[in-house]
Amino acid sequence: MERVKKSGLTLEEALSRIEALEAKNRALEAALASSEEVNQAKSRFLSNMSHDIRTPMNAIMGMTAIALSHIDEKPRVRDCLDKVRTASVHMMSLVNNVLDISRIDSGRLVLGDEEFSLADLVHDIAVIVRPQAQQKSQELKLEIGPVTAERLTGDPLRLRQILVNIINNAVKYTPAGGAIRVRFAQDPPAEGCARLHFLCEDNGIGMSEAFLERIFLPFERAEDQVAQIEGTGLGMSIVKSLVDRMGGTISVESREGEGSRFRVELPVSVSRQERPAPVLPVGRTALVAENRPEAAGLMAAYLEEGGLVPVCLSSGMEAVAWLTEARVEGRSPCAVLLGQELSDMSPLDLASHLREVTGQALPILLVSEEDWARLEYRAGRAGISAFVPCPLFPSRFLGAISDLLAGGGETGGSRDIDCSGLRVLLAEDNELNLEIAVELLGMTGARVETAGNGQEALNRFRAAPEGWYDLILMDIQMPVMDGYEAARRIRALDRPDARSVCIAAMTANAFVEDVRQAREAGMDEHIAKPVDLDRLRELLYSRLEGRTEK
Amino acid sequence: MRPYQEEYIANLQEIAALTLGRRPEDGTLADYLDRQEREEARQLALVDRNMELLRGELFPLLDHLPDADGETLEELGRFASPLLKELDADLFCLIHQALLSLARQRRDRDGVIRELYWLGIGRHARSGQLVGLEVEVLESVFSQIRLCFAEAAAYLKYFGEIENPDTRNYILRSLANRSLGQFKSVSARVRLLKNALEVFRDPFYRSMDPEIPWDRFVMQTHRLMASSITYSRESTMTSQDVADIMESVYIVYDEQLRAAAEGKRTALRPVFHYHAIAYYCGLDSLNGLMGKVELLIDGADSGDFSLEGMYAAISLPAFYCQYLQQYPELLQGREAYVEELYRRVLAYMEAFPAGAENSTLFLYLCQLSYTFVETARSVPYGVFLERLLIRFAPEIYLHSRTVTEAAEVFSEILLAEEPGFFDDIDDIRAIADPAEKRREVLRFARGCGMFHDVGRLNLTGLYAHAGRHWLEEEYELSRLHTVSGEAMLAARPSTRRYASAALGHHAWYGGGERSYPDSYQRLACPERQMVDIISLLDWLENIVYSSHLFTGTAQTFCQAAENAVSLEGRRFSPVLIERLRIPETAERLRLALERGRRLALERMYTGAGAEVQGE
Repeated sequence: MERVKKSGLTLEEALSRIEALEAKNRALEAALASSEEVNQAKSRFLSNMSHDIRTPMNAIMGMTAIALSHIDEKPRVRDCLDKVRTASVHMMSLVNNVLDISRIDSGRLVLGDEEFSLADLVHDIAVIVRPQAQQKSQELKLEIGPVTAERLTGDPLRLRQILVNIINNAVKYTPAGGAIRVRFAQDPPAEGCARLHFLCEDNGIGMSEAFLERIFLPFERAEDQVAQIEGTGLGMSIVKSLVDRMGGTISVESREGEGSRFRVELPVSVSRQERPAPVLPVGRTALVAENRPEAAGLMAAYLEEGGLVPVCLSSGMEAVAWLTEARVEGRSPCAVLLGQELSDMSPLDLASHLREVTGQALPILLVSEEDWARLEYRAGRAGISAFVPCPLFPSRFLGAISDLLAGGGETGGSRDIDCSGLRVLLAEDNELNLEIAVELLGMTGARVETAGNGQEALNRFRAAPEGWYDLILMDIQMPVMDGYEAARRIRALDRPDARSVCIAAMTANAFVEDVRQAREAGMDEHIAKPVDLDRLRELLYSRLEGRTEK
Repeated sequence: MRPYQEEYIANLQEIAALTLGRRPEDGTLADYLDRQEREEARQLALVDRNMELLRGELFPLLDHLPDADGETLEELGRFASPLLKELDADLFCLIHQALLSLARQRRDRDGVIRELYWLGIGRHARSGQLVGLEVEVLESVFSQIRLCFAEAAAYLKYFGEIENPDTRNYILRSLANRSLGQFKSVSARVRLLKNALEVFRDPFYRSMDPEIPWDRFVMQTHRLMASSITYSRESTMTSQDVADIMESVYIVYDEQLRAAAEGKRTALRPVFHYHAIAYYCGLDSLNGLMGKVELLIDGADSGDFSLEGMYAAISLPAFYCQYLQQYPELLQGREAYVEELYRRVLAYMEAFPAGAENSTLFLYLCQLSYTFVETARSVPYGVFLERLLIRFAPEIYLHSRTVTEAAEVFSEILLAEEPGFFDDIDDIRAIADPAEKRREVLRFARGCGMFHDVGRLNLTGLYAHAGRHWLEEEYELSRLHTVSGEAMLAARPSTRRYASAALGHHAWYGGGERSYPDSYQRLACPERQMVDIISLLDWLENIVYSSHLFTGTAQTFCQAAENAVSLEGRRFSPVLIERLRIPETAERLRLALERGRRLALERMYTGAGAEVQGE
């Protein structure tokens, strides 16, 4: 009281000042606590980061040392390098995350504004996340809901980052054998805008209520649950920041031990340039062979949308019987759509047989979730004309059929290519075979010169300017000089292209040592007779690619 | 037939009749070795001649098939026909595939149906030589069969339009043949057979062609339906399947009773089906069924070497053991019976006269091998396999025994230089005493050498009495022997440790496309050093002695060793190649291979029992 008196303040004034000071103190205390919390989080982060960076660094250093000490053991070195690569990729993602959060914090993140295809985006995501889920034997379902506008404008890179981060999280925090369901959908566009809906639900370890409140804060991880799982705790924070920047919303529901469900809604602009509608033979039948009712139903619905009449069968035997009858009765389908699963056989076995039954003209499409790169060789040999990846977008699906029926476009297994720049020397003594081969080669656009025997082929090659022929197709059994001898003599010619020109043997001899003998005579390839157009195309395509590379 | 076609068939028959490697009825060892050498040379000459005939005559014809006249095509069909009987199903398929393509090209409907039927039959015959492989592995083989028959059967809709009676027959047979081969689900097979039965009983079709033996078709289909039970596991059948199969089982059983009443001999197969269906539909317990099967087995005449006798002596025990595999608890109390069962089977096999039905007996024995149940006192699985090899696949035995001898020598060399060479294997690392460790390593080397190629037993047609070089498809098929060998060995305790050698001996040290199976990861396998040894010796032995029959030209040991050196680090382990470069080591291996071959021949001559007994 003495002090109050000395200060010349009234009691009320003094009390008010004290209150103000106390409030300030409280605020400072709160700020201090908050700052300490952030500091603690940052310390935790730094500690995590140093651990997380050290872990891959240790792997890189350790594996490099092992590789160096076994430098002559190729498999072991390769194994080490694979692990080094994995560790480097992981470290790079850590660094990128830190950079991202720093950009977002400082407001330096600029979102792109470019046109992109939703189908491409979804397929890119599938390619990234599927292998990880497969590694953990998880069931990863990617579904497409209503989508009316596929050409969009926005930042596909950041969009992909958001969605991959969420799905990756689900894969990470769902035990082996678990299930993850991802669904993409879209509201009908209005005034050039469409809202994207993304859902990702899993039956993984889930999150506690307490952690749910902090999930989008930077550097936060549910430490008690995820000690063994790599991560910095930045992913979800980045996702949230990006979604906010895009003007969208993100929500999460979760229960410990039961799994999590993330929902994201984002506004996107619809591009003015939609792809032209596919041209399809309205009213014609298309055969769908797929054992999974949902997948078959989706294909059928899209075909109906395109004006085609789907016939759905679940087994290979039914399909071949139906197609046989249809051909006899002159009602062949305009295309065959093979799904991923049949009740009685592999779709590729069916494809091989159907290709024999129908010849080359009928488009056979494979619609599958599998990675095309892994299927390509076998599918090509089985006569698949095109591949349509899942999840299935109507534009892709109908577009592929339309392209094939129009005789153009990307065809996956057997590529329709313009080989008009290629020159082929065809050595064949049998007139009928010659005619067929010239016809097949003509369909590819390649320029064909013929020789009636090996000697003639040798003479033609010798007389041609250097680099004139891209490919020599050589029958084996020919009068005057056989194919082996001709190939040997061509290879022995003293001119650079004699060693580089591709020589392919064409013969019905399919013994192992025939292939070997052809190689020993200097031939590069072996084509079985009767010559298959797809195999021929494949060979020409490889020549064309070789040219481009040169 | 053209002269070259007749000659080709005659050569196949002569090769089949060669007693190559078989135990002689009389004569000295010297006579036996001499005969062996002569027959090997004869087989080589015949194979070379067959290759000349194929290259010079058949393949040019197939090359120019669209030019061929009707008579030539008919001759080609006639040539193909005996190929099935002479176990050259692949060539049979090749010819009918070409004829099918031609028929499609010419839009010849009768031709397409006929060729589809025969191609399906050929593919089925080929699949019959693949024993004991999982349905999943063979899915593609069975699909190809079914697709042929399904396409041919689809012409049923135009039955009335088709005038050619043979074509009608092909359609109806194809209808039932869609059920051939193994199915993942019994229901699918039952459904196809029911459909065939409906058609065969349908007055509409019957009235169209009364000449067709409809009732015979019905009864054959019932037999196929009844045999579905032997393909099945309890869990894969629905109650409707059981009901459908039961009807057929009863019909076939009644037929047997009628035959018996007429004094004819009854078959055991329908009786087994009759008992089995009683269990499947709940009229009998599994114990009850096992007891009845035991009675059938015990009641069989051990001197009956007919098909029926073989069924009783080998097939029924195979089914019996299949139940024991599926329900191991049933084994309790039956150990002694099972032990005696295998001894009886081996005695039956030894007493079986050489000749006519050998291939069927071999097939049945392979089935039994697939369902083999090992007990503490039973014939060890390894002994069973070795007997099988000596008796039915002497080529494989000769190769394996030769590799075994060299594997022991090589292991000993490596162990002397580096006592811890095999210490990746826990059991071996745990042995402290060097002498004991050496014994254990050599025992392991013997097992790996002897059984690394045992999977070839599942691909009988490819190796036994090959009458020509392999086609590419056959080469592809031969690759299955690694996986199937591993499966056989890994499933039994006494041979489990040799499974890696079976799986890994064709893997390239440096990986790569020619490695197989894809799934094999060299670095992940603790037995990798021994697998590498077997891999190298298998390759050397094949090139020096065996592979010229199937894929290439034989080389001397020196040439082969030089080639192996050039594949260092890619095909073979650098550690082993380093040793192979040392002339003394190479010479010891060469001598070991020679010695191994001679010892194998001696063993085949004496017909002595197995050396490697597993654990």
